[in-house]
Parts: sequence; structure tokens; C-alpha cells
Amino acid sequence: MSVATEPRPRSPLSPGRVSSGDARRAVVIVALLAFVLFAIPTLLSVFWLKVLTGAAIYSIVALGLGILMGRVGLVSLGQIAVLALGAWVAAKLFFDTGLPFPIVLLLSGLITMVLGTFVGLPALRLGGLYLALITLMMAGAITVVIAATDFPNGGPGFLAHVESSIGGGDQVRRPAIAETDPAYFRYTVIVTALMFLVALWHVRSKAGRAWEAIRQSEPAALAAGVNMTLYKLWAFALASFLTGVAGALLAANVGDLFNYQFPTSQNITLLAVVLMGGIYSLWGAVIAGLLFRYLPELLDSWNLPADLLTILFGIGVLQVLLTAPAGIVEQFPKDMARLGRAIGRLVGIGRSR
Amino acid sequence: MSDKLLSGRLRHIFMLAALGAGFALFLVACGGDDDDSGGSNANVEVKETVAASDCGPKAGEKATGTPIKLGALATKQPGTDFSEIPRMTEAYFKCVNDNGGINGHPVDYVIETEQTDPGQAASQARKLIESEKVLGIAGSSSIIEADVNHKYYEQQGYYVIAAGIAPSAYGTSNISSVNMGPRYSSDGATQALIRKKVKKIVLVQSNVPGTEYIQEGPELITKAAGLPFEGLKENVPIQDANSVALKAVQAAGDDGGVVLNFTPPEALKILQAAQQQGLQDRVKWGCSTPCNTDFLAKALGDAWDGKLFVNAELNLITADAPDSNLYREVRKKYAPDIPLGSFSQMGFIMGRIATEALQGVKGEYTKDSVNKAFLDVKDFKTDILCGPWYYGKAPLHLPNNIDRTVTPQGGTMVENEDCFPISDVDPAIKQVREIEAKDPSLIGK
Amino acid sequence: MPSWDEFQPFIVTGLALGGVYALSGVGLVVLYRATGVLNLAFGAVGAMGALIAWELINNAGWDDYPAYLMCILFGGVVTLAYGLLFGPPLANRDPLVKATASLGLALILLGTMSWIWSDKARSMVLPTSNENFMVSDVLVNYTQVIGFAFGVVVTFATAAFLRYTGLGTAMRALANDREITATLGVPVRRVEAAAWLGSGLLAGVAGLLLSNLVGLDATTLTFLVISSLAAALIARLQSLVVTLVAGIVVGLVNALITPILSISEYRDMTPFVLAIVALLWLSRHREISISRSA
Repeated sequence: MSVATEPRPRSPLSPGRVSSGDARRAVVIVALLAFVLFAIPTLLSVFWLKVLTGAAIYSIVALGLGILMGRVGLVSLGQIAVLALGAWVAAKLFFDTGLPFPIVLLLSGLITMVLGTFVGLPALRLGGLYLALITLMMAGAITVVIAATDFPNGGPGFLAHVESSIGGGDQVRRPAIAETDPAYFRYTVIVTALMFLVALWHVRSKAGRAWEAIRQSEPAALAAGVNMTLYKLWAFALASFLTGVAGALLAANVGDLFNYQFPTSQNITLLAVVLMGGIYSLWGAVIAGLLFRYLPELLDSWNLPADLLTILFGIGVLQVLLTAPAGIVEQFPKDMARLGRAIGRLVGIGRSR
Repeated sequence: MSDKLLSGRLRHIFMLAALGAGFALFLVACGGDDDDSGGSNANVEVKETVAASDCGPKAGEKATGTPIKLGALATKQPGTDFSEIPRMTEAYFKCVNDNGGINGHPVDYVIETEQTDPGQAASQARKLIESEKVLGIAGSSSIIEADVNHKYYEQQGYYVIAAGIAPSAYGTSNISSVNMGPRYSSDGATQALIRKKVKKIVLVQSNVPGTEYIQEGPELITKAAGLPFEGLKENVPIQDANSVALKAVQAAGDDGGVVLNFTPPEALKILQAAQQQGLQDRVKWGCSTPCNTDFLAKALGDAWDGKLFVNAELNLITADAPDSNLYREVRKKYAPDIPLGSFSQMGFIMGRIATEALQGVKGEYTKDSVNKAFLDVKDFKTDILCGPWYYGKAPLHLPNNIDRTVTPQGGTMVENEDCFPISDVDPAIKQVREIEAKDPSLIGK
Repeated sequence: MPSWDEFQPFIVTGLALGGVYALSGVGLVVLYRATGVLNLAFGAVGAMGALIAWELINNAGWDDYPAYLMCILFGGVVTLAYGLLFGPPLANRDPLVKATASLGLALILLGTMSWIWSDKARSMVLPTSNENFMVSDVLVNYTQVIGFAFGVVVTFATAAFLRYTGLGTAMRALANDREITATLGVPVRRVEAAAWLGSGLLAGVAGLLLSNLVGLDATTLTFLVISSLAAALIARLQSLVVTLVAGIVVGLVNALITPILSISEYRDMTPFVLAIVALLWLSRHREISISRSA
């Protein structure tokens, strides 16, 4: 059940071997990371830093969904609900235990992973469209439960909910080393980079190759002896882990959690941006996060209505599915290259006519 | 391979063009503007004895001094859009700028919006104060920002004038609102129904955070009157209004009262479902202030004439009095796309308060002088409010604590009960009355 | 636990709600049976049609019935245009891809609606909503009856159409395998167009009815399709009759939970829980997947 039939990701290398291409990419990435961590906080205002923090968080969520869709060919329309679960777990952990923030991050990821796998297990026997729809149903159900029970904020009992009072309280407090907005931005970017590393490691591993086989052809993979259920579950587990960590980061970023921060409609928007960003490359997730959180604020600063964005995402989905299945991340360089060639021809350099 | 891509590209371009053309066609055909300012104006053609030039001291003269920068933050997202409140404040400032400004200075107004994301609300406040460097904040209206930002305002020394919704818009030192918010407005609706001799009160609210806080007030008032009380919550947007209406009516029982606290579109669903099931006479129906809009009155039709009792935090939009007339003039001239209703009235008053406060500033306009001016506002009289508005140094602010009741009649809202005080059974109201008693100059006594 | 008297009126509202779910669910399955596309923009199309009708009546001074006709026509034209433009290029792709593409259409329509008609309290009352009659102590209005009856009629008429007519059979063959059907000499494009047009007109009518039964609100009507999907899923997107029955059952259960105050807040979960349970139960022995052979 592949979402798109055309391009394949670059063939994963066997583990242990690092090519020169890899080394070059690593240098570029480290340089980029350094720029983001050290230069950007000085260049941007606190407002835009907070926006980018949100973009980083949602890029982790997009990463999970992108792996599911691009590597294994599974569509989940419930990742925002999983994000809400992750935030819920983080809030509960925060109030019930005095654990330090990094441990809360890790545990949120792990617990959400267990929940996600548990929920995914029976659903995995369903294929393509049914899986997508059942995840949508689950998202709807989880959204209703959270609306009815609200997020934990320090009260008694398992649901740990105290009726809201004037001023509210912070649901998950930030780590002591990263309490200010710029510091939390750096913290989030580092965690995001770590999550991408985790994803990359998975893609290069045996699981990644199994996923590739499943994505190409399920019957063939089955015939080759690939344990489909195990590897599909693994993908779900990874996506849930990533999203759980993102949920904890989100909880500490905003300080207050409300059920209307995770509307069911956002699952569809997430799908749109993940498709547009590109599901075959991990960089696509970064673009997706920027589309999800940065672009709306950009439009708003230009006094354009947010509805324009909804329309844009709709067109984007259609465009990607029709003509550019690899998304912006591959299409943009191609378009730029084509533009460059066109300009070159105009100016007379390059291949002569 | 490349051929296939190319034809796909062409088709892709055609598709976009077709879509674009189709929508352009519809936009043209539908004539865009649906906020029927023309229609609802027809009911409100009161003799205009004021001109828009009354906004400022020098009629017709554009202000040219250094601008005074002010800002506001409002919730704006599908389903919840309060941005017309600061936009009306902006319209008033435009009028002021066209007529002499504030001691010759024009107002430079910045409106930011948020989508009920606490992180975003926090960053927008910082954007206003640290990036845009606004000297004061007046005109804000947000579901959450008061809760998220009130401590920040305290740290920064800003005294915000808002049309609040979150509890902190009424219960903190650095925010004072021109309205009374969902809890006290529901109090007022409850009191109105109790006066109509209902045997039980059922409060139905949309299930968003803050419901327990809102419910507390009406519950205390109902119990103090010796009547039973029940609180219900419904998820929005409502898909099954029939069941919601039925459930509320069943809970209230015959001769009971149902108070709704919803945004107008959701309240309309419930009320229409109630009417279609013939339930509008089984119980008495009340609504908090969001229902106070002619748009709703028109949509309800005459089946509801005199049957819905809406708590009105502000005077009728049809009132014939100086500020109300000026409000309609300014709206017509500077913001005709914003409908008449309590939202734009609130925006207007905030503009008036801020302008008058700032006109009293002697010397430079700085963050400190602007905020001191806001803090010092007392005994601000306007016919749009029942009582004088004030700020002052206090741990909480509820200057608008006297209300009217209105009811739909022939497509508009008309007055049903004149100004009455909100019951001080609600502890915050009691506290505020004590503050007023200690310093009567706040309300001009 | 509420008494029988208190439950009784909720049976009526439950049937009304069930009619709503059944109507949308049947609309979804009808197109799926005929073209292999799950059109998740069904609700959005209907919503926009209803808003256009509202606009024509309230701001352009049209009479009621011509405006309603425009709504229905709009539904047909937009869906047909989408089908003609995006049907063929996606025809050989996975049903999942086709459904995802329809989400793109839904987003475009939703954004357009929010832009043109910002969120206000709007109402467009069909004449039948004001006529009503009593059924054991509960008022039922004719729009509810029409909604319910329409769902039933469409179900059986379409089932018969698909089974017994030439065009219907062609549609089923098309959904099954487009290429083979084409080689058999069936005018594929025309059959497809007919299916899209029919489904679009259905969406327009549903939009009109739902604007009265649920509310004239772009977001609500667009996302109503998610709850209606439950009925379609229970029928595994195959049987129209099962969709109809499932929709009614979901509506009934949802409404009947309303007076049980301890779980009333959770009642909106009903469609989702029932769909999940039904799907998992139905797949317990074997893998269900949708290949190109629907």
C-alpha cells in the first residue's frame, strides 16, 4: 500500500559503512545546527523564537508520520491525538513524580510508544485505507475523552484534574537550564536533532530495510520471510515514541494544556503538510514543521487571512499526489535547478544551443 | 517519462487556473460582503445628532504629531473570532486621528491575533511589548491571554484595558475589562430568570476550559434563592442540537429555567432545535451576553419574540444617546463591515476610555505615563454602560457590574429589564462592591 | 438511571440523528461503489452549497427554491469538475491515495468558506422545518422526516440502480477495474462523469438538509463526514443497506446515551467506538485490505 509509486529513497547503506557523502552531509548538518543554535536566537525576536520552537516540535511529529507514510506506506490520521496523549502523560508524570525533565521526556516517549503500539496492534491487520480511517476514528475517540477529562494539572486521582482557577498553573515546567524562551528554543532544537538521529539510525538499520521491502510490495516481502506484523508495529512504535517526546516538549513550551489545542481537524492539516514537505526524506519533516507553525505566523504578519493557508494546503495535497510525490524537499531543488538552467540559457552560459 | 511529467504539469496548471476562475466567479457573484450592515442598519435609523467629528478635539484636522503606539491581542480562529472588537477600537482611533488626535498626536494601533494556543498568546504579548514597543494595551479580547499573560503585564508595568473572557481578566491587578465576562453575565441571566419565577436553574455551557469557574457564580446565586441547580456541558461544535435542547429541558423540568452560555452560532443551533421540537414554551430560556446581537435575533425569527432573556452587558445598539449615536456613526464611517452588536460596542468604549485617559496626560507619552493614565481612570460615564467605568489599583477589577436584560422582538433586541446590579452572593462581586464603597470617587460618588 | 418517559423523546432525536449519519454515509458509499473513490469532501461540498444558497436568499434577494436549486447544482458541478480533473490521473492509484486527494479538495473548500463567510450565526430554514406533528409526546418536523426518508430512498434506489441497470453495472465494473472495463468498450469517462455528477447532486441535497438538521456552519458540516464515516466503515464501504442501518443505530445509541448523565459527556464517541469495534470484529479472522478490486 504505497502512497505514491514513483521515487524511492536513496538506498540505505549497510550498517557500519560511512561513505564520504555521509561525512560531507554530516558536516553540513552540524554547521546548520550550530547556526540555528547560536546565531538564530540573536537574530530573531522572542516571538519568532517561540514560533520556531513550535515548528521544531511539530517537525518531530511530522517525522513520525513521514516515516510511517514514506518508509512503510502506512497512513495514520491520528498523530495529533497521540501528541495529546504524550502531553497528557508528561503532565501526569510531572505532577505525580518529581523526576527531572529529560527523564520526563524519555518516559513520555516510552509510555506513548507502548500506548501507540497497543492501539496499533489490532489495527494492523487492516490495510491501507482502512488503517487510515480507523486511526481517524481513534483520534476522534481520544479527542472526546480528553475533552471530557481534561489534562492533568495537579489534582487528585488518576485523572489528576483540579478545576481551573484564576491564573491557572503551569502544567509541565521547563528544565532549570532552559527556563527562558531562547534557552528553551535551543533545548528543543537539540532534542529535535536527537530525535532525527534516532529516526535516521532506524532507517539505516535492519528495520529500515524491512520497511523498504514492505513498501515496495507486501506479498513479495511476505514471501521473502519478512515478519510484516513485527516491522509494521515497530514503525508505529517509533512514530509513537517520537510523538510522545514531542508532546512533552509541547507541554513545557506552552505551560498550559487545553483540549482545544488538539482538534481532530489538525490531523488532516498534519497529513497535508507532511505530504507537501516530502515523505521520502527526513528533511521533509523539517519543512512540514515550518509549514505547520511558521507559515501561518508569516502570513499573519503580512495581514493575510489564515484561511488562505487552508486553501494552500489543500492545493498542496493535490499537487503532491498528482505530480510531485516526493514533496517540496525534492521538488524545490529540482525546480530551482530547472530555473537555474533556464536562466543560464537566457544569459547564454551553460550548454550552448 | 518526461513527457508524462510534462502533460501532468500542464494539466496541473489547467487545474489551478480552473479552480481559480471558478472561485473568482463565485466571489463576484456572491458580492463578497455578507455582514449585512446595510440590512441591519435599516432598523436603526435613529436621528443622528452627532457627527463622527466628535471623536476628537479639532474637527476635520488630521493629527500630525509623533504617534502614540498602542496595541491589542485578540482570539481569531475558525469558530471563535473576537478580532472585530479591537478592529472597532482601531476604527475609533482612526476617527480620533482625523479630528485632531490626542493632543495633536495620532494613535498608531497594532492588533495581534492568536489561535487559543497559550504559547502563541504569550509570544504575541511579548511581540507587542518588546518588538512593537507599544506604550499601552487597550482593546484586547481573548479566551486565554489574560490567564497566560497577566503576570507578564504585571512585571512590565502595563495596565491593560480589555473585553475579557478568561477569569484573569476580572481577577487580577493589571487587567480591567469593559464587559463582565461569561461568569457574571451568566449570573445576570440567572437572576433575570429567577425573577421570572422559575423553579430550577440549569446552566448549559460549551465544554471549553473554565466551565467550573463560570458555573460557580450562577450556582451560588440559585442556591441562595432556595432553588435547585444543575450544570451541563456540551462539546462544540454541536452535531446533535436536538438532543442537547431536549436534555436541557428535561433537566430543568416544567417551569424550570435554562441558561445558555455559548457563542451565537452554537446557541442558535440549540434554540432552533428547541423551537422545532416545540420546547420554547416548556421552560424559560436565558442566555449570557454573546446572544445579544441582532444577527441572532433575526435568525431566530418571531417564534422567539419575548421568550429569550439575554443578559446585556451594554446598552441597546439602538439607544438614542450621545455615545451610542457616536458609536453608530463611527462604525458606519470607519468600519462598516463590522456588524452592530455588543462586540463592536465594547471596542468602541475601549477606544473612548483610552483616548480620554490619554488626553489628560501632561508631558511626554511614555510607557509609564500612558499606563498611569489608564490606571487613574475613574468615574468614566457613558450611556453605553449602566454605571461609570473605572480602573484603580486593586487586586481585581469588575467595573461593569450592573446590567440590563434584553429580549428579541421583530428581528432586533429590545430592552426587557432596566439596569440592575449583579448579585453580590457571588464573592468577587461582593469584593468589588467593597472596593467601591471604600473609594466612592471611582464611581463618582 | 433515567426513566422510560425520559428516554422516549431521545428515540425520536436518535432516529433524526441516525438519518443524518445514514444520509452522509450512504452518499459516501454510493460514490465509492461507483468510482472507487472515498470522497471525504462530501460534507464540505454540501456545506458550501448551503452557504451559497444562504447568500443568494439573504444578500441577493433570490427566492427560496431557486436558491436551493443552486445549492444542489453547485454540489453536482464542483464534484463533477473534481472528478473529471482528478479522477483519471489518480485512477490507477491506491484507494488511500484517492481518498487523501479528496481531503485536499475538502481543505480548499473549507478555507474558501471560512474566508468568504466568516463564522456568524446563520440560519436557513427550509419550509418543511416549520411543519411538524406529534409522535408520542415529541414534536417531529418534516425536514427530519425527509432527511430520514431520503436516506432510505437513496439507499434502495441506488442499490437497485447499481444492480439492475446497464449504467449501474458499468459503474460497478469501473470501480472494480478501470482498464479492463475500458477494453470491454464501456465509455469509461462518461460513466465516471455520471457517477461523480450523481454523487455531487446528492451531496448538495444532503447539504441543504443537514444545514437544517445540524446547523448552517461550515466547520461542523465539513467534519460531520468523519462521524458519518463510521456508518460507512461498519458496512466496510460495501453494502448500502448496512450503511443505512449502521447510521441509524449509531444515531440512536448516541442520542440514547444523552440522558444518562454519568456518561453523557462521552456520547460523541459513539460513532468512533462503534466503527472501531465493528472493524476489528469483522477483521478478526483475516486481513482486510483494499486493493484495486474494491
